[in-house]
Amino acid sequence: MPAVIETQKLTKVYESSFRSQDVRALQDLNLTINPGEIFGYLGPNGSGKTTTIKLLLGLIFPTSGRMRILGSDDIGAAAVKRRIGYLPEGAYYPDFLRGEEVLRFYGHLYGLGGADLTRRIDKTIETVGMTPARKRMIRGYSKGMRQRIGLAQALLSDPDLLILDEPTTGLDPIARKEIRDILSNLRDQGKTLLISSHELLEVELISNRIGILHNGVLQTIGTVDELLTQRDVLIHIADPTGGLIAKLNTAGLQVEDATATKMVVRVPENLSVYDALEICRAEKATIQSIAPRRETLEELFVRVVGAAENKTLA
Amino acid sequence: MSEVASFVRGTWTIAVYTWREGMRKKILMAFLILSVLVIVGSNFMTSFLTQVTPGSEVDMEVKQMKDLCVTAISIFGVLITIFISASVVPNEVENKVIYTVLSKPVRRFQYLLGKFAGVQLIVILNLILMAALFFVALYLKERIMPTLLLWSTLLTYFEFLIVSAFTFALSCAATSAVLPTIAGLFIYITGNLTEYLKDVFVRAGQTDLWIDRMIGYISYGLYQILPNLQNFSLKNQILYLASNDPPRDILLPNLIAYGLLYAVAGYLMAYWIFRRKEM
Repeated sequence: MPAVIETQKLTKVYESSFRSQDVRALQDLNLTINPGEIFGYLGPNGSGKTTTIKLLLGLIFPTSGRMRILGSDDIGAAAVKRRIGYLPEGAYYPDFLRGEEVLRFYGHLYGLGGADLTRRIDKTIETVGMTPARKRMIRGYSKGMRQRIGLAQALLSDPDLLILDEPTTGLDPIARKEIRDILSNLRDQGKTLLISSHELLEVELISNRIGILHNGVLQTIGTVDELLTQRDVLIHIADPTGGLIAKLNTAGLQVEDATATKMVVRVPENLSVYDALEICRAEKATIQSIAPRRETLEELFVRVVGAAENKTLA
Repeated sequence: MSEVASFVRGTWTIAVYTWREGMRKKILMAFLILSVLVIVGSNFMTSFLTQVTPGSEVDMEVKQMKDLCVTAISIFGVLITIFISASVVPNEVENKVIYTVLSKPVRRFQYLLGKFAGVQLIVILNLILMAALFFVALYLKERIMPTLLLWSTLLTYFEFLIVSAFTFALSCAATSAVLPTIAGLFIYITGNLTEYLKDVFVRAGQTDLWIDRMIGYISYGLYQILPNLQNFSLKNQILYLASNDPPRDILLPNLIAYGLLYAVAGYLMAYWIFRRKEM
């Protein structure tokens, strides 16, 4: 099955009057997103995520490189856009319209109308949980409600590809969970999602694959399992002695959360758990639990971005 | 739905949305209210302004009332036209609505056409409201149908259409409404002064200095290129002819074609700027 999004050496330079002040926002991006994937697109502010999205939507134009979306090279073609839903970050929806009027407006832009549009509005409003507020003016909406209406307008045409820029930013935990469930349902329906976000935990929970961008360069890409491979082991110990801590430190083990009654020892992937346990046994320490611990996406993110920054500085 | 029907529906949707949003702008409402106050109060104001001369005071009052109302419609009408034409696109870029609109199956040409049509809806409705009030006030004063005013309103609209098209084009290159608004005022003022450019050309030819000749040619070139907005003014005819006289010395179809030609040129300029604009 052909890729939903495919870019080859995609580069974007924002030119200024002086060549020295040109900003290279995206550099030789090679990205492939397959059908049915939820792709988490991560990166610090100014890393080029929104630039990529704008390029994919034809809102800005590439300096060089190629893009294919839904099998087409013609990014601006109506037939392609009809199959894409887009939720921009912090979008404004006119205050003087009601929730369902906003959707009707966007529905007409999709070329929809009549009973078909009404049916789709009903369905998407129900999907995003806005049925009770559908007839209220947008000006009375909370931030979460505006975000839901934004998601509804992106879903209105039942698109094959959804591009979501910060879909859960500013939402409370319950709303985040609900949005996450909606996105998971969409994945189950075979939709392809590109999610740009700073909410790393959200992305980790729902994405199949992840790409981390820094200074316009894709630093790493892969499935969540491929990328979060670094597995430490945590040993929880009760009533630690001073001698135990000293010996563990000497062996290169990291002692965390040490108090008079308990402590946690982190055994990095490259050291032996058995050696750590041997030290504990020799010191007659009470081992409460031993548990493997996978690196979090946040830790991976900090590690990758930190390494990229060090490389830049060097 | 066919491609054509889809295009028309999309364009009309954007136009209506632009109109609904535009009519909520406070500055636009302020101009409209001021113009309505001037027109409605013109009868009252002229009674203070008119010097009483036995037998002629009614004519003078009517003339001053016409002068006041025509000026109010011109000034407030063009201010509304410029402010709305200068702001619809930059505002939409600023609040990011344009991202959601252009990510839909909407072509840039279609988007601009919808915005421009929305601007024209606002301009036409405001002009109709102001002209209707003037029409009623004049009818109540003279008890004759002021049909000349209808022709004047029609031509005033085409004058506004030209100003609107070029202001709109410049707004497509801007990031805020400030510069296009200033440019719009400049277009309106320059367009009303093009006859002076012809004078400059005639006078410049009277000396043999190369700089004079060059200024003359530039003035003549500008005179040929810039729209002459004075062509659309029936103010003198409204003041000095009877209110139900037909307009004199004008070729109405030619003037309308002239206005449309400049408006199309302005719109194409807007599209040329906007087609590669980065959002």
